[in-house]
Amino acid sequence: MDHVITRKENLNEADYLIDVVAPEVAKKFQPGNFAVLLTVPNGERIPMSIEKAENDKITMYIKRLGKTSKELDDREVGDALYKVVGPMGNPPQLKKYGNVVFASDLVCGHAENSAMCRELKKIEGNHVISIQSYPTKNDVYPDKELAIDCCHEHILATEDGSVGKMGHYLDILEEMLQERQIDQVFAGGGIPPLQELSELTKRYNVPVMTTVRQIMVDATGMCGSCRVFVDGKQKLACIDGPMFDGHKVDWAAAISRLAMFKEKEAEAMECYNKEIKELR
Amino acid sequence: MEIKERIPMREQDPKERVNNFDSVPLGYSADEAVAEAKRCLQCKKPMCEIGCPVRMQVKDIIALIKEEKFEKAFYLAKADNAVPAMTGRVCPQETQCEGKCILEKQGKAINIGKLFAFVADWARRNGVTSKINVEENEKKIAIIGAGPAGITAAVDLRKLGYKVSMFEALHIAGGVLQYGIPPFRLPRDIVDYELSYLKKIGVEIKLNHVVGQNVDFNNIKEEYDAIYISTGAGAPRFLGCDGEKLKGVYSANEFLIRVNLMKAYKFPNWDTPIICGKKVGVIGCGNVALDAARCAKRLGADEVYILYRRTKQYAPARAEEIHHAEEEGIIFKEMVTPCKMTGTEDGWVNGIELIKTEFKGVDKSGRKRPVNIENSEYIFELDTVINALGTRPNRLFLNNVPELETYDWGGIKTDNDYMTNLSGVFAGGDALTGGSTVIEAMGNGRDAAESIHSYIMS
Repeated sequence: MDHVITRKENLNEADYLIDVVAPEVAKKFQPGNFAVLLTVPNGERIPMSIEKAENDKITMYIKRLGKTSKELDDREVGDALYKVVGPMGNPPQLKKYGNVVFASDLVCGHAENSAMCRELKKIEGNHVISIQSYPTKNDVYPDKELAIDCCHEHILATEDGSVGKMGHYLDILEEMLQERQIDQVFAGGGIPPLQELSELTKRYNVPVMTTVRQIMVDATGMCGSCRVFVDGKQKLACIDGPMFDGHKVDWAAAISRLAMFKEKEAEAMECYNKEIKELR
Repeated sequence: MEIKERIPMREQDPKERVNNFDSVPLGYSADEAVAEAKRCLQCKKPMCEIGCPVRMQVKDIIALIKEEKFEKAFYLAKADNAVPAMTGRVCPQETQCEGKCILEKQGKAINIGKLFAFVADWARRNGVTSKINVEENEKKIAIIGAGPAGITAAVDLRKLGYKVSMFEALHIAGGVLQYGIPPFRLPRDIVDYELSYLKKIGVEIKLNHVVGQNVDFNNIKEEYDAIYISTGAGAPRFLGCDGEKLKGVYSANEFLIRVNLMKAYKFPNWDTPIICGKKVGVIGCGNVALDAARCAKRLGADEVYILYRRTKQYAPARAEEIHHAEEEGIIFKEMVTPCKMTGTEDGWVNGIELIKTEFKGVDKSGRKRPVNIENSEYIFELDTVINALGTRPNRLFLNNVPELETYDWGGIKTDNDYMTNLSGVFAGGDALTGGSTVIEAMGNGRDAAESIHSYIMS
C-alpha cells in the first residue's frame, strides 16, 4: 500500500495537517490511538496523533519541530511516506460521563481533542466541552470543522488574550471548576501543563485522563523507552497508553525522559538543513 | 593418531574492529574450509547431529566440503536449515554440534559453525540457490511473527505445499536477527540475503501487520486453516529498582534496537539517535549483555563494564563472545549485584550502587549460588547503564487475544504437539519458552511445522 499524501494544509505558521492514505490504520482507529510513521527507509519510527480517520485516510496535525516533521513538510501532495503503521496504543473505553472536558495547548493535543470530542459527543448524556489554548491569535487553527463541530461547547483561549478568552487552558478550566460541575477531564499537549492540570483536577476531585507523550523506538512494546511510572508501576506509553490517569503519573520522570535526546534532535535538524541547502 | 589443530578463523584485529560494525570473523577460504573438513573423522554414529536442534546432516555436509563439492554441501545444509549462513555465525556450537564432536575431548572439535557459514557464503557469492519443488495444496497457514521460529516453520510448511503468510509487526522481517544481534556478529547483507529465500519460495510476508491492532486475530482464524504464533520474547525485563526512570538508563532491547534495527550508529545519516556515554555498565552476562557492551565500545565508550553476580565461567554467554569481548577491552566486573541507579539533579544517571556477592551452595541450575555480602554496598560511577537481564513475551499480542491461555509469566500454554487451547492455533519459539537461542527457536519451528502438517492431514 502506498501511503500517499492527499492533502496538506497549514494550521498556523508552525503547524500543518496532512491526510495520508493508510486504510489499515483508518479502519481500526479509535480516539486515543496513534500511528507510527517512518517517512523514509533510514528514518525513525515516530508516533503521531491522529485527528480523524475516514475513507481509508488519516489526518494528522504536525509541528515543524524536528528533522522528521520538517522532512515531512518538504513533501508535496502526491508524494508517499515509506511506512505508516497502526493504529497503536490502548485507548480508554469512552462512556457517559456527564460534563466532560478535553483541554489541549499543543498540536498533537489539539488533534486528540478533536478526535476524542467527536466520539464523546456521540454518547448520549455527555455534554462535551473542548478547550483549546494557543499563545496568540496568529497561532489559532481554523476552528469550524476542527473544533466547533466536534463538541457542544468550544472555548478558544489565547495566552495574550488577542482572541477568545485570555489565558492557558489551565486558567480557563480552573475558572470552570469553580463555577460548574465537571465530571471528567481529558487532556493532551505539552507535558509540563499536564502535570499542573493533574494537580488542579486533584484539588477539585475530578478524574483526569492525560496523553503522556514519550520517546518511542519500535512503539510495539519491545524497547521500554517510553516507560511511564503510573501509581508506582512501570507502564509503556506505546502499548498500555498513551493515555493514563493523570493523578497517578510520575510527571517529573515523564518530563525528564522526554528531553533525553534534545541535543541529538538538534544535531539531526542541523544536518538536515545543511543537506537541503546543498541540494538547492 | 595425532589430531591436528583446528584451522584458526581469521578475524578483524580487535584494535581496529572496535571502530566499526563490520564482521569480526573474516570467514574461511575454500582451502581453509577443506583443510578443516579433512580433520573430520566421519564417525559411524555422528554425535554432532544429535546435538543439532534442527537435525542438520552434519557428517555428510562435512564430507562434501572435504571433496570440494560446495554446491552439494550447500543444498544438503539448506534441506534442514533455511538460514545456514546465520546459524553458522550465531549458534552456540560449543554446547551443540561441536560440543558433542568426538574431537572436543581434546579441545579440537571440528569448527562446524564456520564450515557451514563458509558453504552458505560460497553459495551466495556464486549465485547458487536451492530450488524447491512444491506440490501445491489449497490450505493456508498464517504465521504471526517473522523471527527464527516463524521463518523455519514457514519454510518447512511451504515445502509441504501450503500457502504461507507471515504477519510481522515491524517494518522488516527477521525478528531478533534484525533488532537484536549486532552486524559485527551477523552482517546485515547476509540476513537480507537469507531472508530473501522466503519470498523466492513463495512465502508471503506482510510487514507492519500488528495482529490485534490493525489485523483481527479472529479474521486470521477464519481465513486460515492453521495459525502458528511465533511472537518471540521481545519485551524487556527491568530490575524494578530506584533509578530506572533516569536518562541514560536503557534496556538492552532499546539499546540494541536503536543500534541494529534503526542503525543509530549511522546517525545522523540515519535518523534514530543513541546516547552512549564514556563509562558504560551493562547488567548481566548473557549474549545480549555482551552484544550491548560491544556495541557501546564501538559507539565510542572508553570503559565498558559487564556487571555480573557470578564469575564469567558461569555466565550464560557463549565462550566465543566472552573471548571477543575481552579482546575488545570489555571489563568483567564479577561478583556484584546492582541495587539501584543514582542520578544527577537534571535526571541523568551518574552511577550504580553495587553490592558484592560471594558463592554459597548451588542453585537449581547447578551453578554456584551468589549471595549478597551484607554491608558491602558501594557506588560505582557510570554515565550509561544498560539492563540486560533477559526478556519476556510481548504483552501487545497476548493482550489482544485474551482467549489464548498463558502462564502467569506470559508464556503461551501448549500441548506436546505445540497446539494451544485454541484448535488449530499453534505456538512456539520464545513465545513459548520465554527466551532461548536462535537455533532452539528454529528447532521449535520445525517441530511445530510437523505438528501443523499432521493436524491438517488428520
